[in-house]
Amino acid sequence: MNPESDARAQAVIDAALRRLGTADPARDFQGRILTRLAAERMKRDVAPLGSPLFFRLRHIWRATGPALYCLSACLIAGIVVAGSVTHSHRLHAAPFGGPPVLTLPSQGVGAASAVHPAAPASTPAPIGHPGRASHTNRKGRARIAPHAHKAPGVALPAPAPDSQN
Amino acid sequence: MSCFEGQLASWTAPALARTVDSSQTIAQLVAEYSTALYRVAFSVTRNAAEAEDAVQETFLRVLKHESRLGEIRDYRVWLVRIVWNIVLDKKRRAKTRPEGEDVADHARTLPSGDRPAEATVISSQEQARILAVVDRLPSREREALLLSAVEELTTAEIAAALGTTESSIRSRIFRARRELAVLLEKEGIAR
Repeated sequence: MNPESDARAQAVIDAALRRLGTADPARDFQGRILTRLAAERMKRDVAPLGSPLFFRLRHIWRATGPALYCLSACLIAGIVVAGSVTHSHRLHAAPFGGPPVLTLPSQGVGAASAVHPAAPASTPAPIGHPGRASHTNRKGRARIAPHAHKAPGVALPAPAPDSQN
Repeated sequence: MSCFEGQLASWTAPALARTVDSSQTIAQLVAEYSTALYRVAFSVTRNAAEAEDAVQETFLRVLKHESRLGEIRDYRVWLVRIVWNIVLDKKRRAKTRPEGEDVADHARTLPSGDRPAEATVISSQEQARILAVVDRLPSREREALLLSAVEELTTAEIAAALGTTESSIRSRIFRARRELAVLLEKEGIAR
């Protein structure tokens, strides 16, 4: 763009912007705004029954509303805490009457997930009696009794010399 | 007056006094800033009725938040921001270019006798074509350019209204004018 046409363009832009930025509103513009504001204010402020008492009560409510909200919230919180503390005290004051009795269900899912009491301890084996370990060999190998019931025709291995003990 | 009503009156008296104060403040704001706000709105809407509606809506919002009037530091910037948001929101909702752009309407709001110099430079039709080209600029540049057209606003106030710095506004205006000149040259408007 050459300087002449640029200058012309800038002049055109200036003129257009000046026209845009100096537009004047129609006559009595401010009067219309104030009238609308007054109407809005009346609509907002007039009480539903048109009574000054309601008007004042609404103003009072506007001023004291947040304080009342806070007060009621504190009251509810206090009731909850007091109830909780009372309940806790009542539980602690109850006499200890032994372990709670469990009633186990005999079947169903509850039976599987229920708390099962431990089985009674088994009686210890008398001294000198091998107990459950009597059938085991010292070397850890199974011993086949000579009179073991076997199918006819099945050969048995000869017992080891030390297995006679 | 009963005792109860007397007590009520003593409680509500400060609130009523505040109401009177705020209504006076709002009336002063209307007297002082309504024309500037109209120009801001008109720069976007290009329609007298829509611009007037936007200004009225602006003051309705002020009325709605009248309890906060004491906290406002710069009324002009605050009001410009409100009206700017309103017109942009309306434009966005319309989802069109400034549809209300009406050359005849524009000519009516601008008495020709007041601006003889501009009238000789461009006609109303040319003005409309130039503004159509302005609408093709990038939004940031266009917004800065349109607000710079409003005589009452300084660069600092435009920057505050758009939430940016003065230097940013200056560079946006510079870029907008340069680009606009090129577009006008292409359109054959600035020959």
